[in-house]
Amino acid sequence: MRETATGTTRERVAFLLPAALLLAAVVAVPILRVVSLSFERVELDGRAVTSWTGLSAYGRLWVDSRWWAALRNTAVFTGASTLLDTVLGVAIALVLHRRFRGRGALRAAVLIPWALPTSVMALAWAWIFNDSFGVANDLLARLGLIGRPVAWLGEPRTAMAAMIVAEVWKTTPFVALIVLAGLQGIPEEILEAARVDGLGASARLRKIVLPLLVPSILVAAAFRAVQAYGAFDIVYVMTGGGPGGATETVSLYAFQNYFRYLDFGYGSAIATQTTIFAALLAWIVIRLARPDGKEGEAR
Amino acid sequence: MLVAASERDAWAPIGRSFEVAHPGVRVDLVEGPNATDLRENLYTSALLAGDDAFDLVSMDVTWTPKFAGAGWLAPLDEAFPAAETDGLLPEDLAAGRYAGRLYRIPVRTDVGLLYYRRDLLEQAHLAPPETFDDLLLIARRLQSPPDLWGYVWQGAQYEGLVCNYLEVLHGHGGFWIETPTLEVGLDRPPALAALDFLRTCRMGPDPISPPGVTTYKEEESRRLFQDGRAVFLRSWPYVWRLAQAADSRIAGKVGVQPMVRAPGREGGGTLGGWGLGVSRFSRHPALAVAFIRHAVSLPSQRALCRDTGYAPALIEGYRDPVLLAGSPFLETLRELHRGAVLRPSVPRYALASDILQRHVSAALSGLEQPSEALSAAARETRLLLGPARTAPDAPKGRMAP
Repeated sequence: MRETATGTTRERVAFLLPAALLLAAVVAVPILRVVSLSFERVELDGRAVTSWTGLSAYGRLWVDSRWWAALRNTAVFTGASTLLDTVLGVAIALVLHRRFRGRGALRAAVLIPWALPTSVMALAWAWIFNDSFGVANDLLARLGLIGRPVAWLGEPRTAMAAMIVAEVWKTTPFVALIVLAGLQGIPEEILEAARVDGLGASARLRKIVLPLLVPSILVAAAFRAVQAYGAFDIVYVMTGGGPGGATETVSLYAFQNYFRYLDFGYGSAIATQTTIFAALLAWIVIRLARPDGKEGEAR
Repeated sequence: MLVAASERDAWAPIGRSFEVAHPGVRVDLVEGPNATDLRENLYTSALLAGDDAFDLVSMDVTWTPKFAGAGWLAPLDEAFPAAETDGLLPEDLAAGRYAGRLYRIPVRTDVGLLYYRRDLLEQAHLAPPETFDDLLLIARRLQSPPDLWGYVWQGAQYEGLVCNYLEVLHGHGGFWIETPTLEVGLDRPPALAALDFLRTCRMGPDPISPPGVTTYKEEESRRLFQDGRAVFLRSWPYVWRLAQAADSRIAGKVGVQPMVRAPGREGGGTLGGWGLGVSRFSRHPALAVAFIRHAVSLPSQRALCRDTGYAPALIEGYRDPVLLAGSPFLETLRELHRGAVLRPSVPRYALASDILQRHVSAALSGLEQPSEALSAAARETRLLLGPARTAPDAPKGRMAP
């Protein structure tokens, strides 16, 4: 017994080791380096001169109004885009789950936005929202909804809204895909039984399908929230953080510190804080996904 | 050397003639993105890693303090003594100095200009504007938005906004950062008057700029002007050739002049332009220096500027029959270039610029009141420059004369 157990353990370690080493090299080491950089100050003068500064970069975060503004923008962007993604993603998944002609083609088509590189789609959306040449203004004007062109990316509120629209357009397919997988996991017999018991379509959706979908919805939402929280490319391309810093996210601010101000200590403090928040966010959502721990035990 | 993809064709013949003069040497031109910020990031990554991929650094006028301050560039004072740099535009040469040493040799220059629709002004029997009030008056009289706007410029939150604001500030007699003293002028009356002017342009009463001007960079504003949808445009010299090209809707209908000013003040455009520095990590510094010398020679300047409409850094270029034949505009440009406004040469320029961009942009989009925005910008800038004042290597740049 004992020997077999050790053998198994040894085998397990042997099988896990390559993956663990790879993850350590490409994830853990850089993260730890960033964390340690956040306690340092780096002066460049031909070579890098580092000095220990302790927690002072974090103290600076606390009083930095630009960082607070970036955090607020990031929260709005993350909250709104995750919510819209989830609602639309579930709706699309429900449609794609039904049997109809051309479903395969439609399923493939729905995935296209997800497959596009973010910077490419962000550039396209920036032109869509251009005030003079953009499609958005043209359509709305033809429909008689706006009298004069709107500078979507030129006003703080509409710029944020435009960015959320672009993000949702791109990432909803991801949620739809995961929820669709969840839908396919719901046994047909349960629904059949409910139908026999005389439950209507909307009641079946509310009482059976949605509750059973909760784990997949939450997993999808967790991925989306963490990803939206780290949003960088879409902001960099669409607005550059403007107007007046109204769309600057924490990732963009960290980037500016690294590449434009060469302030590696402060950039690392922002990045470290962002990582901690994102990890917390993921942890909370995963806890929500199995409130009583049952699913956890099942694994 | 990494250059914008759009500039590659202009550089290629200069590289070839250098190869002919130096047998066995190959000049590699790496095509980078057209956006300045992106190329700055690429150079930053390479230099940060101490990489010797680039011998030469093709630098914007504002990169000098950052790159030289980080110790990424080799000083060029010895390779280029005064006798040799006399032939280059003095304003542009001054922009290549940091902490008293020369790090960047200008290759071509840029200056902010005011373009106008000569035909529309003549039809209305109006003279070109001299002051900000003239500009507002003429623009309001001739415009019929949204089909024809009075004035377009670059109001997006990026470096271009600083250039636009700086000109208006200079025209009101104000200053941003006075470099020997590091004095900050953003909470003084001229700074407020300058911001009020730009705000009036966009937010009225009776606005002369489209609301989307806060999203415009160079190309968005040029397209509008070139489509015949704006009376005035603030931009760089490159617009002249494009606006006058055969396929332009406004060919032959364009005038150009220096930036307007407040009564009794000097007007002047912001100085821009590109130059070359030598990477400290280069394994061929002597050849790199030789290439720079080659690039500012008259034949190279001709090759660079003749077909592109760029303005040479070599003063002789403005009298050169070959260049003038291709672009008679150069003669005017030399005059417009005098009194150009320099951006301050401070080591943490990027951060100072971002502070200004952010608050000016916030005021232009109605997020902040102009006076609040400027006092916040002044406070943050002083906070930033404070320690630099006592640093032993206090920068010795200069602002506008």
